[in-house]
Amino acid sequence: MARNNAGDVKNVATYCYQCVAGPDLYNIRVENGVATEVEPNFDAAKVHPAGGRICVKAYGLVQKTYNPNRITTPMKRTNPNKGRDEDPGFVPISWDEALDIIGEKFRSVRAEGLRDEEGFPRLAASFGGGGTPTSYMGSFPAFLSAWGPIDMGFGSGQGVKCYHSEHLYGELWHRAFTVAADTPSCEFNLSFGANIDASGGVCGVSRHADARVRGMRRVQIEPHLSITGANSAEWVPIKPKTDAAFMFALINVMLHERSREDLDLFFLKHHTSSPYLVGPNGYFLRDRETKKPLVWDEMSNRAVPFDTPDIDPRLEGAVQASGYEPGADEERWDYENVDCMPSFHFLVENVREKTPTWASKICDVPEETVRRLANEFVDHAHVGETVIIDGRELPFRPVAVTLGKTVNNGWGGFDCCWARTMLACLVGALEVPGGTLGTTVRLNRPATSRQASVQPTVDGFMDYPMNPTDAEGWNDRPANRNAHQTLVPLAANSAWSQALGPTHLAWMLQSETPDEFPEAQPPDIWIVYRTNPAISFWDTGKIVDTIAKFPFTICFAYTPDETNHMADVLLPDCTDLEGLQLIRIGGTKYVEQFWDHQGFALRQPAVEATGEAKDFTWIATQFAKQADLLAEYNNAINQGAAGVRLQTDTYDFALHPEREHGVEEIWDAICRSASAEISDGADNKGLEYYKEHGFRTKPFSRLNWYLFPELVDQGLRFELPYQERLYRVGKQLGNRLHEKNIHWWDKQLAEYSPLPNCDNFPALWENALVDNFDIDISDFPFWLLTSRSMQYSWGNNVDIQLIKEVADNVAGHGGVVINAAMATKMGIENGDLLEIASPLAATRGRAVLREGIRPDTLLMVGQFDHWSTPLAKQFNLPSMNKLMPMLFDLTDATGSSADLVKASVTLIEKTA
Amino acid sequence: MTKWTMVADLRRCVGCQTCTAACKHANATSPAVQWRRVLDFETGNFPNVGRTFVPVGCMHCSDPPCMHVCPSTATGQRADGLVTIDYDICIGCAYCAVACPYQARYKVDEPLFAYGGDRQMQNEMVREDPARLGVAQKCTFCSDKIDFGIANALTPGVDSEATPACVNSCIADALHFGDGDDPNSNVSQLLVENATFRMHEELETDANFHYIWATKAQEGLAATDDAPQPSRGIGGVGAAAPWLQQHWDWRAAGNFIGGGTGSGLMIAGAALSLQGAPVGNWPLIALGFVSLGLFLVFLETGRPLRAPINVFLNPQTSWMTREAMIGAILFPLGLITYFLGSADLFALAGLAGAVYLYCQARILTEAKGIPAWRHSANVPVMLSTGLAEGLAVYLIAGPLLEQPETTLQPAIAAMLVLLALRTIAWNRYVGAMAVDAPAATSEALDAVHGPFHYGGNLFAMALCGIMLIWSDLDGPTMAIGVIVLVSGWVYKYSLITQAAFNQGFHLVRTPEKGGGTGPGGKPGWGSPD
Repeated sequence: MARNNAGDVKNVATYCYQCVAGPDLYNIRVENGVATEVEPNFDAAKVHPAGGRICVKAYGLVQKTYNPNRITTPMKRTNPNKGRDEDPGFVPISWDEALDIIGEKFRSVRAEGLRDEEGFPRLAASFGGGGTPTSYMGSFPAFLSAWGPIDMGFGSGQGVKCYHSEHLYGELWHRAFTVAADTPSCEFNLSFGANIDASGGVCGVSRHADARVRGMRRVQIEPHLSITGANSAEWVPIKPKTDAAFMFALINVMLHERSREDLDLFFLKHHTSSPYLVGPNGYFLRDRETKKPLVWDEMSNRAVPFDTPDIDPRLEGAVQASGYEPGADEERWDYENVDCMPSFHFLVENVREKTPTWASKICDVPEETVRRLANEFVDHAHVGETVIIDGRELPFRPVAVTLGKTVNNGWGGFDCCWARTMLACLVGALEVPGGTLGTTVRLNRPATSRQASVQPTVDGFMDYPMNPTDAEGWNDRPANRNAHQTLVPLAANSAWSQALGPTHLAWMLQSETPDEFPEAQPPDIWIVYRTNPAISFWDTGKIVDTIAKFPFTICFAYTPDETNHMADVLLPDCTDLEGLQLIRIGGTKYVEQFWDHQGFALRQPAVEATGEAKDFTWIATQFAKQADLLAEYNNAINQGAAGVRLQTDTYDFALHPEREHGVEEIWDAICRSASAEISDGADNKGLEYYKEHGFRTKPFSRLNWYLFPELVDQGLRFELPYQERLYRVGKQLGNRLHEKNIHWWDKQLAEYSPLPNCDNFPALWENALVDNFDIDISDFPFWLLTSRSMQYSWGNNVDIQLIKEVADNVAGHGGVVINAAMATKMGIENGDLLEIASPLAATRGRAVLREGIRPDTLLMVGQFDHWSTPLAKQFNLPSMNKLMPMLFDLTDATGSSADLVKASVTLIEKTA
Repeated sequence: MTKWTMVADLRRCVGCQTCTAACKHANATSPAVQWRRVLDFETGNFPNVGRTFVPVGCMHCSDPPCMHVCPSTATGQRADGLVTIDYDICIGCAYCAVACPYQARYKVDEPLFAYGGDRQMQNEMVREDPARLGVAQKCTFCSDKIDFGIANALTPGVDSEATPACVNSCIADALHFGDGDDPNSNVSQLLVENATFRMHEELETDANFHYIWATKAQEGLAATDDAPQPSRGIGGVGAAAPWLQQHWDWRAAGNFIGGGTGSGLMIAGAALSLQGAPVGNWPLIALGFVSLGLFLVFLETGRPLRAPINVFLNPQTSWMTREAMIGAILFPLGLITYFLGSADLFALAGLAGAVYLYCQARILTEAKGIPAWRHSANVPVMLSTGLAEGLAVYLIAGPLLEQPETTLQPAIAAMLVLLALRTIAWNRYVGAMAVDAPAATSEALDAVHGPFHYGGNLFAMALCGIMLIWSDLDGPTMAIGVIVLVSGWVYKYSLITQAAFNQGFHLVRTPEKGGGTGPGGKPGWGSPD
């Protein structure tokens, strides 16, 4: 019926951070204590980049609250046998009993030692959604902090489902955990599979819609016509996993067909390492006294340290210079008047053969398209122009290159990320208005400011917290089961790093131990929240079998699902509309969250908790008590583990460490601290203020969107094109591994080259399958891909009927998308049941015939194939996850692979 | 004056369905009921493919077909242009639903819950509305918000409290709402500055829902004489291509079968009685057929208790009301004719039957949402087949009722003439459907072409010819009747339940997104889907 305006009706302000494109703000309408409607929060219109609006996923939250399939009491397993075919025999128990069971386990594990005999943490935890669960787990991070070492290396999708290479190389090159166009002022956006209109959230969608109508030309290069392709000026249907070749050819056109004067030579000379001289062994030639890399000054005709004032660095042409060249470990070469070249020379030579003609054959795209787009890119770059941002004059370069999943992860991810960043550098469009920007940092610290994370190195670059590879510092005993510190120097070692190691390695090590590596036992305790790796990871059959072997699993459970099917204890937590938490909003965050404000937003109980569901902060406090860690837990909150420090030089709202504090008490202290922080100590408004207003912000200068000013202020350069540091790191890592007689990571070591090689990545994929499965690859003629669904991605909402209903309006949600002409050739019609098989496994789904997909490509939107989750298990939708093998051969140097597999199609049943 | 108007900017819409979900929240609609939804259109062929997202729903037409057909006046139009439904009057006949060429109307007969069965959630309980069961429902442009806004000096389309939920929710700023009669309003400005189209303009509904596809400046650069492209939609609720209407089923078909045959028989009987044939039981038999038809359609109404009264409320424009009214005359007249055995009264009853038959044909032509029904070429088919079916009953039952030989021969001659007319009408209709209907409609009519045209028309005509030469056989006479009757009924059953594909949707121009604009597409109309 129409809305009920009688009785007790209120609008409660809250936030949604279900996906990485958030957080965003909205109101929930509550009629007589019952949540009925999600609405935009127009009170936030002036501060929120999308005018206080919220995307379709948030509209699932009312049903999420009242879903009759919800688990509303703690439960324990009664069947000791675990497996897909075992009935867990869950029975309801009280919270007291649940906490007793968990507490006993906590205490016994702590008594045994926090790490097992091989040094792996006995407690493991997995959280999904690119870190967004922390916005729903209240003070739980304080419990994790209080506990000590925890293995967070069991991935739930990272690596194949994330922008893995972009995260690592992005942070290295421009503090860009993810990368975006400066959409509000960009004119030309080359988008390689970046599905921003489906995965960009409300900010991404609204910014791009504005840009489109303003006249920004976005060209979408991808094998199928995604939502984003649909809304682009042009669709270029490229062969899967050949994006690197396309981008290399773009660089080729810019360097070998266009005039040098068309490029931003000043930017290249003074804001990149292009002029750094490279010695005979491939390392920078350095000044003996200052250890700084040398450049050739055209004015004084001599080699000088890069930061010598008033120089005109040479970009091309051999010179003779003296200095020393430090290699890996103790290697060092000293020279007098040695022949050497500027780095830029190697770039030019590296792409000399990568012509549009060459790329055309690889990418299955006409060479004139490649050439035209390269020229458009240069022509739109406005080289030489400037713009004033908040009183400061900055270069204006309204061209951007953005990458999507499967382009920027797995083999080729390095090449694509490098080429993307290089394309920006060639026209001076990196980290300047209109150009290609980083969004936020997760590996560098502090995580709250990209600018503050910029620290100088002697090379004139931004420092980076690489995991050590020198003989003394290298961590030869993996600290967690995916060995991120041991194998992936770029993963760094922040709180986020574990999730960015080779997360499939943690699963693989449970059934196989590579030579000379410690044997990994299952964790004694595994805690799972807002993730379902039994569906969302690759080779899900193997994941299910592995999870079944874990001895004690605690799942925060919303409904039964495929992972908690193997749990020992299920705990119901308050969902989005029931819990209490304050988070940071604004500034710059993932994807396209670029705000002109920053501050805090509250998620508050709009309705009573359902059944025995408990607020996560209450649960965290009880866990801390059970583990005898209350003081450590309270201290962790005081130190900021729940988002804001409670004690600084200017204010003090610290919790008493020895006492147990209530949920509201904890969040009131956090709110007061947040108020003190945002007002520079002027006030300390508490929980009641945030409950009434929902959020509080202060201005955030747009200058902070761009990293360029910070680099200029610190006299630093972007570390491109030549990857001397990575080259050294790779050599050293190889030395360390080989000293331990480990050779199974050698393929990955090859990625540490000064310039990417742009290998034949489709062939690499095919060869990996041939080598590991002894198959004839021609039996698997299709490339199988996936694509994000705005309705489902990250939402943990596959069991929400409303989401299913509206998602079905978008093509592709009904099965496997296949090119219409190809299908017709194979006798396949819309709705026919198909079996899609990879060398590993097979899945079934209905044919969805579309014109917007290459004839050699298949597409499965989202991730389904549920067999336990209520509602979703009736969908009968295919999933590519079970078809993708976990293989070292398909693991790149960053530890990631890509959502990509070769597949066959068999017609099983004609539609009725 | 005020004319509430919606403008959807196709350059902006990304098909995210946030508006779909927001509408479901604001209006608490049942599962699978989407007053607002966004279609996913594909146009062209690989690799030159376009994909466009098109929000649809009630277009609040200035000349709404749904309102004209409504027999109960439940569907109305406010002074501000909003097309409304009074749930307390609606009889749930779903005539409006088949009259709407935008597939905007729904009817839910039983309470439906998101998680099925009786698993009603708290939010569903709070927003439960029994008044909406068994009646037509559709987008209201959130009239409750508009009215609230007007009452509180707010501007709909500008102030969020007074603006439809879909517009408020749109994350791409693609949906705009305002007063189309106010030249200074937001929507009027958009319409001045941009190139727009309205969907199904040729159906003259004067929709108040406009689609922006380019700026006015870009409009001049776009070629407009290029042919529509092959296009593809998807199945299910979000389908863009025509799908078989589900509002009227075999029960509605039964009304056209019974009503057509009964009224045809009343006419035939009257005509033959004027030639001297006895009145006999024919009026009673004719009324029996009409009654059966009405009973069947009565079973289909969502609110059968209201139907016998409220069906009479709109004689001004509704052919369903007119059918009911003439039915109300036909029944007493037929009964009196039977009791008095008067050929003169029979002639009057036959006249009423003719009007009744015409009403039935016009009921279909006013169903603008169904190309197979609305075409004027269907009227002669409906009339000729109704008459032929009535005469067929005469031929079947005549020998059984020992009707004099002298009356059967003229009846066979009349049948020959009627079948000739039916053949001409059918060929005209099928020819029209080949160009003016979805491909699926033509395919469905192809399936009925064999039994109807070759069997029911040509073969029966041949039999008539034979019978006119050898006139002393009862069997062939009855056979003619059976063939004509069955073929006519098969046709009507197919027309209502097999060929009744709806209008589907039409993307008139693909929007300008930086790569130029092109002809749109009309999925399911002579192209693959």
